[in-house]
Amino acid sequence: MAELDLSKKVADRYLKREVLGEGTYGVVYKAIDTKTGQKVAIKKIRLGKQKEGVNFTALREIKLLKELKDPNIIELIDAFPHKGNLHLVFEFMETDLEAVIRDRNIFLSPGDIKSYLQMTLKGLAYCHKKWVLHRDMKPNNLLIGSNGQLKLADFGLARIFGSPDRKFTHQVFARWYRAPELLFGTKQYGAGVDVWAAACIFAELLLRRPFLQGSSDIDQLGKIFAAFGTPTASQWPDMPYLPDYVEYQYVPAPPLRSLFPMASDDCLDLLSKMFTYDPKARISVQQALEHRYFSSAPLPTVPDKLPRPAPKRESRASDFNSHDGPTVLSPPRKSKRVMPEREGFEGNAYKVHKIDDHVDEIRLAAGGNTSGNEPVPLSVDFSIFGAKPPNRPTINSTDRTHLKRKLDLEFQHPE
Amino acid sequence: MAANFWTSSHHKQLLDQEEVDVVHPLDKERGITLDDFKLIKMHMATYIWRLAQFVKVRQRVVATAVAYMRRVYTRKSMTEYDPRLVAPTCLYLASKAEESTVQARLLVFYLKKLYADEKHRYEIKDILEMEMKILEALNYYLVVFHPYRALSQLLQDAGLNDISMTQLTWGLVNDTYKMDLILVHAPHLIALACLYIASVLREKDTTAWFEELRVDMNVVKNISMEILDFYENQRMITDDRIIAALSKLKP
Repeated sequence: MAELDLSKKVADRYLKREVLGEGTYGVVYKAIDTKTGQKVAIKKIRLGKQKEGVNFTALREIKLLKELKDPNIIELIDAFPHKGNLHLVFEFMETDLEAVIRDRNIFLSPGDIKSYLQMTLKGLAYCHKKWVLHRDMKPNNLLIGSNGQLKLADFGLARIFGSPDRKFTHQVFARWYRAPELLFGTKQYGAGVDVWAAACIFAELLLRRPFLQGSSDIDQLGKIFAAFGTPTASQWPDMPYLPDYVEYQYVPAPPLRSLFPMASDDCLDLLSKMFTYDPKARISVQQALEHRYFSSAPLPTVPDKLPRPAPKRESRASDFNSHDGPTVLSPPRKSKRVMPEREGFEGNAYKVHKIDDHVDEIRLAAGGNTSGNEPVPLSVDFSIFGAKPPNRPTINSTDRTHLKRKLDLEFQHPE
Repeated sequence: MAANFWTSSHHKQLLDQEEVDVVHPLDKERGITLDDFKLIKMHMATYIWRLAQFVKVRQRVVATAVAYMRRVYTRKSMTEYDPRLVAPTCLYLASKAEESTVQARLLVFYLKKLYADEKHRYEIKDILEMEMKILEALNYYLVVFHPYRALSQLLQDAGLNDISMTQLTWGLVNDTYKMDLILVHAPHLIALACLYIASVLREKDTTAWFEELRVDMNVVKNISMEILDFYENQRMITDDRIIAALSKLKP
């Protein structure tokens, strides 16, 4: 029987190791590819419940990743059915950009920031060249390999945008990374939405905290306008015609320099071009890569030399279980959960399914944006705190990024 | 879009006609000839098309489903992968891959309506099981390019985008899915062949326009000949022949 062959394949080719986490559509575990001796991450896609076969999101990811082969995009190495479930084999990644940003023991030099941004944009440029929108750009979807290479992952929301005038949902991206046109409900959008998100990641690298932390869509726009000023008709002529447009009180833009005091002129110039309101006028990824920011000193750090969180006792699955297992149970899909109180936070509920945008991140407004309010030393000893609430409305997983390995974005709990 | 066809998995997977025209040994054992093989695939393409009209999906989904079905049979036998189940499952999978999902429940409902045949009653569970097998047979490559987009661009460029020419060429492209052309040729060449046939048929002088294109006209003409041969042969196809071919699969 075919079934028998396949089960052999798992055993024969992949040696199963510890569970890394639980994702949107199934468990992710670590394994060794005996063919190559490499570590891999295997996503087991659960089937069944809704009687709709292979999960739609998973199928999207398979479809696109089979076409996208680039040094800055996660590699889908293999796929196979086993005991009625589909398994996807990905290259194993040590950590992700969110873990780097949050690690207080890491100092990011201007060259490091440049390097991380450049790799992000290169991966994105490749997608856009292939007419694929990522639509879920955020630091914890940018995985980092053992050689420091950054790769775009999680293409579960990605789409081919070749057909003109096709209408797409605007319910994409974690809110903090959502472009203003999406927040105003546009259904026809393009590569600019990924550029905006990349700009948010750029800002986050500079500030070491999420830049625009809105608590609702309305608040998100408010935060954007507070940072860059309310857009005028001349800045963004199409704005008043967007489906969910509402008029905001006029706020002038503070000087960008005041928000990013440490940034160089080139850096601020690129940042402002990526944060352009009018998506038609917003810089393209390719143009951004050609910006002088990348050719001026300091040059981007070689990936190998980039600072990364200290490697954790990797193969000790028990560690992971004992610290993390009992305490960090992420909420099931589409529910929110209040995390234990911690300084600076009251509670934190996060968006669990990326398509639905009910990110009800509740933060104390006071000082919510200052870095002093960030969870204190998260780096090395992060794991011993166990249930540290992630202070962002991502789908989750931030609290488990200390595992230094992850593939899927929605880790729920280790088994 | 045309620009990235060349870097796509679709392009890399194009086969020679001789590779497509191979009857699987298991099917041969049952007496399936190359003609039977082609006939069954043609019949199943039509079947997918009819089923698609019930569940209401875009043309693109139908085209992708037929391409999946044809790809499956370059690797798998009809004996093990019964076309009567493969065809609807390809439509189901294509509807997901092309972002216009059809519920398995709905598909099965119309399936039963269309196929009164008691022996081949399929349930949701059968479709879902086959979906996994098809994914594997396709080696998880799901992106398929089609001639339609190229066709509308070419028609416009040639100044032939009136209703009559558009309808004729569009219909011709639809019919190419009754053949294996999508497995063998680049979609824009198939579109060109259809445009070529239509312009000859409607006596439109497109010689100068074709000459300006940087394409191998021999290939276009060969595809056109294949399409014309198909129309010629199709006259001899009767339901009896199809039934006879199918009955060899499951006596």
